Amino acid sequence: MELKTQAIYNKTLSITALIGILASLLLSFQKSVFSPVPVYGSIAFAVIMFIGYFMTNYFLYGQDSALYILACFVSQLGLTMLYRINPQIFLKQITWFCLGVLIFIFVSILARFWIDVDVGSTFFFGVTVLMLILPLLIGVERGGSKSWIQFHDHLFQPSELAKITFGLFLAKTLEDGKVKNWWLFAIQILSILGVLMASRDLGAVMLFYLTAVIVVFVATSRWDFLAIASGAAVVGGLLGYLTFGHVRVRIEAWLNPWKDVPGKGYQIVQSLFAMAQGGFFGTGLGMGHPEYIPAVTTDFIFSAIFEEFGFLGAAAVIVVYFLMVYRGIKISISVENSYLSLAALSITTMFGFQIITIIGGVTKLIPLTGVTLPFMSYGGSSMVMSFASLAILNGIWLKGRGDENGEPIE
Amino acid sequence: MNRLNKNIKLVFFIFCCLFISLIVYLTYFTVYEREKLIQSSYNRRLWEQEEKVVRGTIYDVKGRPLAKTQFEGETKERIYLGGEAFGPVIGYSNRRLGRAGLEDVLNTSLLGLEEKDPIVVLRQKILGAEERGNDAYLTVDQELQKKAYNLFKGKRGALAAIDPNTGAILALVSSPGYDSAKLEGIWDSLLDDPNKPLINRATQGVYPPGSSFKIVTLAAALTHNPDIEQKIYDTPGYVKVDGRVIKDHEGVKPGNYDLLNAFRVSSNSVFIKIGLDVGWNNMVSTAENFGFNKSMKADLPVAISKFPQPSLFGTDVELAEASIGQGKILATPLQMARVAAVVANGGNLISPYIVEKIVTPLGTIREASNHQTVEAINWAVAEKIRGFMTDVVRNGTGKPVYIKGIEVAGKTGSAQNPHGEPHAWFVGFAPAKNPKIALAVVVENAGAGGKNAGPIAREIFIQYLKDTQ
Repeated sequence: MELKTQAIYNKTLSITALIGILASLLLSFQKSVFSPVPVYGSIAFAVIMFIGYFMTNYFLYGQDSALYILACFVSQLGLTMLYRINPQIFLKQITWFCLGVLIFIFVSILARFWIDVDVGSTFFFGVTVLMLILPLLIGVERGGSKSWIQFHDHLFQPSELAKITFGLFLAKTLEDGKVKNWWLFAIQILSILGVLMASRDLGAVMLFYLTAVIVVFVATSRWDFLAIASGAAVVGGLLGYLTFGHVRVRIEAWLNPWKDVPGKGYQIVQSLFAMAQGGFFGTGLGMGHPEYIPAVTTDFIFSAIFEEFGFLGAAAVIVVYFLMVYRGIKISISVENSYLSLAALSITTMFGFQIITIIGGVTKLIPLTGVTLPFMSYGGSSMVMSFASLAILNGIWLKGRGDENGEPIE
Repeated sequence: MNRLNKNIKLVFFIFCCLFISLIVYLTYFTVYEREKLIQSSYNRRLWEQEEKVVRGTIYDVKGRPLAKTQFEGETKERIYLGGEAFGPVIGYSNRRLGRAGLEDVLNTSLLGLEEKDPIVVLRQKILGAEERGNDAYLTVDQELQKKAYNLFKGKRGALAAIDPNTGAILALVSSPGYDSAKLEGIWDSLLDDPNKPLINRATQGVYPPGSSFKIVTLAAALTHNPDIEQKIYDTPGYVKVDGRVIKDHEGVKPGNYDLLNAFRVSSNSVFIKIGLDVGWNNMVSTAENFGFNKSMKADLPVAISKFPQPSLFGTDVELAEASIGQGKILATPLQMARVAAVVANGGNLISPYIVEKIVTPLGTIREASNHQTVEAINWAVAEKIRGFMTDVVRNGTGKPVYIKGIEVAGKTGSAQNPHGEPHAWFVGFAPAKNPKIALAVVVENAGAGGKNAGPIAREIFIQYLKDTQ
């Protein structure tokens, strides 16, 4: 890596740590009783972040550091906001972050060496379906969708893992630029969507479908397919609206939340109030009322960011996510192997649409569906699997570089 | 491979568009949607703010409080000192019943929410002044307002009095009113009352202005037909337009009338002929110069006063009726006071205002927004109408308003309406030369204008001019 780039990365990382410590000091002094927890927290965060950075650079020489740095930046912003809303979950989230960094290193290495082991598309399909069906069989319901598994006191969302395996499944199936067996493929996709539908996870249905359509189009360049898929989406959407009550509720709450503010429109309206309060510059950290927004630690964390950091802060977050998507696309273009290229694209597309879906949802640009905002929302599965997604991108990048230079990586 | 990369770039392009549209939407949201949401009564943040802030006081022009927040131990209470006369103007701010009147319009000011300048906010924090909202000083005089309200006792109607030179509202009465202080107890009966006391008739009531509108018709005629003053109209006591017969009031004898005499006795038949001579377009443009068909900025929300536009199927009957203030024409009392003010100040249309200034807890004064005036009619025309209106009070239908020692100018009106007896109007100003007050009085279903609305106007002129001397 060039020295100059390295210097920029180091600086960015240091500034991220500094921002965290400043924000935590602010939060420490805000309560009438001084609380050192956020300062310890932010120092712990910085330590984990730096150790993770040096370790990845050591083990994975030549990695795409930008991915890791950007992820740390949004994680930290999320953590700050989580402490501000609920100090109890702050410590848990730091643990999740730590785990995420470990997973990032581990999966990066894994992906670097074994991503192209040919296990066949059926294997990935099997894992995806398994991950999605498990919660239906032994899961518990949270927030209207049955997509969680309880293990002791911890809740896991296997569909987060399914997002990755689904991407690999798509890439493997389409690696030759064409679908060998359209019927089989269609049945596979529809069964995955069917399982998601059964667990009432609307956001996931949308994400998986969009990703599939984009990846198939990119691999095959078939406009006719794109047209049919868009038509199917419209028909499916209409059918969903007419047949499923919960779909209709979502759409109506989006079209006119003011019709039933205490009921159906409650969530979205509270989110809009928070954003309105923020304005361009925000109320300032700790000066807003994010606790008025329901599910603010998970789905609605972006509204809290908007309230306290304002339009400018929120736009910065959007730009950071955009940069991640940009890196993902760049990796996908840079590798020669079409399987790796498609795998990188699937994961990036899923990631990008997830961000658009949830930010668009909480700001009432599109109907709200419950998906998490990667790295920011509270929750272990989301944090760890988001890191895993980036790690796979990182591994693909390393693999591409290694193959190019023809040198093994020590 | 090339094809694959081309497609991936296309996907990247799609993502660019999506992220950009997110940011564009959020910009739009912050610029346009924001204010509305902040003010929404569903917004818990607003209540929170209200809990923390001591709502500012509303004072009348002489610094007497009309609404203020008092502490009773720990609890805050909003008390209203204006009585029934001020109910529809001041309104109320009540968590259960919502907000109305100036309490609604000035809400952000009274709570001090509009200090967006971070420096000001910081300064207030440091000085420990964030506890109080801003105070509002009105242009209304409490005594004049109460006097006017009492003159309406038992009658439905409204009065709007303004300073014809500045547009400052001196009194704004709507009868029946209500006492904001007793609101909780009487809310249900207020809602059910057929006289609708919750509506501010002076700004929201739209009435046919009847003959008082002849001031505008006269202005149109003098502007567009300069030789009209030499004309003599021979009238049989009625006029036939497109087969429709419109009669003069009782007491207007058939015969020859010049413009002055026709205005003095308020002859419908003559003014219809004048209106038809002036024509649709000139009538519409003059009425619009006087402020009809346009929204009025007066701090409080004011209903738009309407003058009918010539339509494809519009007949001369519509124009004939409009020329004498009947038919499709509708005006608020505040608008008619503005018409009087145009003549009083020599031809300028003023924008009425009721908030004199806003004073922050730090003592900074924000003057009321700039009040623009535009020329409605030229000075010479205004001077002629001033003479005509003075004559009405001296020798014509306006005699009940005559005050010894003070020359009053005015025009009466008895507006036909589907609800029974005509609405009684008086629109005028005093003193005729160098006027200090312009007003419009309407008493619903009371009959002839001079006899029923006139005395109220007279008392207000006397009281106000006595005070200012």
